[in-house]
Amino acid sequence: MTRRNRRAATPESSAFPTRPYDLIKEVTIAMVLVAALTAGLAALFSSPDERPVTLGSWSRTASADFTATAVSELDGTSTTAQYGPPYNHTPGAGQKIGPLGLQRLAGVRIPIDTADDFVIQPLRQAPEPPAVTDALAAWSAAPANQQQAWASAYSDALGKAPNGDPAQVAPGGYGPVPVLTSRLLQLAQSGALDGELLTEGGQFYQTDYTRPLLFLGDGTYFANLAQAQHLAGDQWGMMNETGNYPGQAWLWLYTFWYQIEPFKSSGNADALVWALMALLSVALVLVPFIPGIRSIPRWTRVHRLIWRDYYRTQQPPR
Amino acid sequence: MVGSGYEFTRTLAAPIDLDGTGRYVHWGVVQISVANLVVIALMVLVFVLAVLLPFPRGRKRR
Repeated sequence: MTRRNRRAATPESSAFPTRPYDLIKEVTIAMVLVAALTAGLAALFSSPDERPVTLGSWSRTASADFTATAVSELDGTSTTAQYGPPYNHTPGAGQKIGPLGLQRLAGVRIPIDTADDFVIQPLRQAPEPPAVTDALAAWSAAPANQQQAWASAYSDALGKAPNGDPAQVAPGGYGPVPVLTSRLLQLAQSGALDGELLTEGGQFYQTDYTRPLLFLGDGTYFANLAQAQHLAGDQWGMMNETGNYPGQAWLWLYTFWYQIEPFKSSGNADALVWALMALLSVALVLVPFIPGIRSIPRWTRVHRLIWRDYYRTQQPPR
Repeated sequence: MVGSGYEFTRTLAAPIDLDGTGRYVHWGVVQISVANLVVIALMVLVFVLAVLLPFPRGRKRR
């Protein structure tokens, strides 16, 4: 049969059988049922109730990790310090798709100097004991390579100390670093550092948690908490929730790519997975135009199951 | 006062506490929480029911 003949054989819409259908009634029933279900499930299960992790709680629970992280912010070896755009201009940093450097294209929009923003500025803003004032002056007066040498030496010494305990670090040429990090630890344990990093943005409403979150994320404490809750990237974490609550199951495909090669071990995994999902999303939109894929509903014949009453009354095709 | 506050919180608390340690199923590269599995199973069940259950038949119009 030619295309023209098929078109000519299609009856007018008025020739199809019809049935009365109350759409308003169905929508009302659906809304009432969903509202009752939502209220009932909320009353039965409530919602995740994890205590927030702050710089204060981190520094009180894992002071050695906090100090080691503060030193890595000073010597520029933390994840944030070496992240590249949008935080800094680290050479070679940033994710790419082939030759296209996506991070670099976006540029440095949230400039962060980890030593200054996470350690030095908060110490300057807080009331300082004389020893801290002297330490800050010594740090500021020293050239960059001297600052780097002090912080690196202290970082190595912390790594060798039992449990990374600053009190058990061997004597050495660490300059003002131990005084600075010790005072920063005190500030954090008092809860003041959380507030100070929030105010660094210079905005009246303190809702920008970028700085405290980056500092928190540079340590191992926060990552270990996420790991324990199955929230890490290599644990399908994107689709999980804390405790026994169901999470975002619809993100299964997005997080799936992170579990397999070549994405799993790629330094560009975020960019590659984003590009792949964009490609698959376009393919989904174009399903009606993709030969083979567009015929799946005709092959599976689910529509004949849904409208079985109608098809039962039809003549079988000859 | 602390005791009454505790009782008040207990009264408001959800009967089923899901804040404990999460349970997960591992199958090769796949890791999925039991809670997500339950939700996915319920979604499949609703889909199958929607396909298989007959349309409600109202009174026919004359």
